[in-house]
Amino acid sequence: MPFTIPVGPYHPALEEPFKVSVRCVAETVQQVSVDVGFSFRAIELLAQRREWVPGVTLIERVCGICSNVHAMTFCRAAERIAGIEVPARAVYIRTIISELERLHSHLLWAGLAAEYMGFQTLFMEIFTLREQVMDLLETISGNRVNYGMNRIGGVNRDIADPKAAIATVQAMAKVIENDVVPTFMTSATAKARMVGVGPLSKEDAIAWGVVGPVARASGLDIDVRSDHPYLAYAELGFKMVTQPEGDVRARVVVRALELLETIRLIAEALRNLPPGPLRAFEGMPSIPPGEAIALTEAPRGEVFYYVASDGGKMPARVKIRTPSFVNIPALEAMTVGQQLGDISLIQASLDPCLSCTDR
Amino acid sequence: MEKHEDDGQRADLMARLAAIPGSAPVEDRIDGFWISAPELDVDAMAREMKTLGCRFVTMTGLAHDHGETAIIYHYVRGHETINFKTITRSGAIASLAPIVRPASWIEREINDFFKVNFIGHPNLAPLLRPAEVKEGFFREPEPGSTPPTN
Repeated sequence: MPFTIPVGPYHPALEEPFKVSVRCVAETVQQVSVDVGFSFRAIELLAQRREWVPGVTLIERVCGICSNVHAMTFCRAAERIAGIEVPARAVYIRTIISELERLHSHLLWAGLAAEYMGFQTLFMEIFTLREQVMDLLETISGNRVNYGMNRIGGVNRDIADPKAAIATVQAMAKVIENDVVPTFMTSATAKARMVGVGPLSKEDAIAWGVVGPVARASGLDIDVRSDHPYLAYAELGFKMVTQPEGDVRARVVVRALELLETIRLIAEALRNLPPGPLRAFEGMPSIPPGEAIALTEAPRGEVFYYVASDGGKMPARVKIRTPSFVNIPALEAMTVGQQLGDISLIQASLDPCLSCTDR
Repeated sequence: MEKHEDDGQRADLMARLAAIPGSAPVEDRIDGFWISAPELDVDAMAREMKTLGCRFVTMTGLAHDHGETAIIYHYVRGHETINFKTITRSGAIASLAPIVRPASWIEREINDFFKVNFIGHPNLAPLLRPAEVKEGFFREPEPGSTPPTN
């Protein structure tokens, strides 16, 4: 006889607060429904009641993991409306911070995935690496979480010692290449736990509109860094990672291989950091009437911003669509026919962010 | 579908977008194609975008005069972004959710924020709105603010 188990909104099996109602027959999942909104803060509305500069600070609080990408995407939309050209050095610094953010986000997720598999030693190894990224971000920005690097027209801080940063990420690359990636790719424990679990076919990935590593793990070659090149990605020669299998292991492998590409991008950008100013202008920005969209690739996938200005001190409209907002509903497709005990791992493989989703 | 489209393919795409029932001339902006079409047949638009291999990104709601809401449908096709802007009719508009699965949550969100009735939505339940907050609260003025006098 079918039965329904409510998981969440606050549950040890979930990374963040959302509710998954699982309908099962014995241990087999028949149907899943997802409820969100438990962390709703109305950030879009609040941003429309802040002036442009404090708005950047507020929008950086959309997410505690990918905070930089939100502030930067908001700034890019405002810069498009105002026709502001960001100086080359600031473009490279934005690229470096974006990729450092991806590095620490992917490492956070990889560590949690290891823990979900019961692989405690790998979890500790990965979190040690992540700590090094956090230290590097703190050295550059003065902050471990909300970096405050972006401003409309450029960045607030320079990177004082690019050579030291290169040495740090290259040392990390060796550990990731020699230990982390091979473990996820070849470990019998990892394979047994992940292969064939939580499948999402390419057709379902298209139908559900998923983005980021979840889409790329189902064989979809979509990534804003190559589809709509921005910042310095075209100059740095970004290489996309895809896997065809569409299961939890494919999502792990995509993120693991992206760690290496991310480190390459960071090192390349640091080596080629152009000279010049950090911002297009000093003082407060003036945003004329207009509207613009901006797309960027956050660690979890495509971020979309629509920003409108009526020429006033505050944005007339700020619309934010985060990657988790489109990835989380696909949980329904990934879990049907799966084992109840795998729900925790499958939802984790989405790397869901409810802070982003609820805003 | 090739991600890199030449000028001829872009012109063909613009012509197809303009030919959708209720559509309008396509404006080629720095951030993609924009079509401002108050009378847009959104159901026909959604079907044509599917045929063209466009990926639905999201929708934006904006408060409009007389209780109406401007809705912008955002799509991506390869390197192109496509944005259709239309207006609700008596506070309602056809739902895309029955044919575009990822439209379901964003339509529920726009209903929460702007009180738009998406006709044909299979479950227009609150998504983010807390139970104590009324739908359409994005339309309300900031508490303590003075309404415009002109």
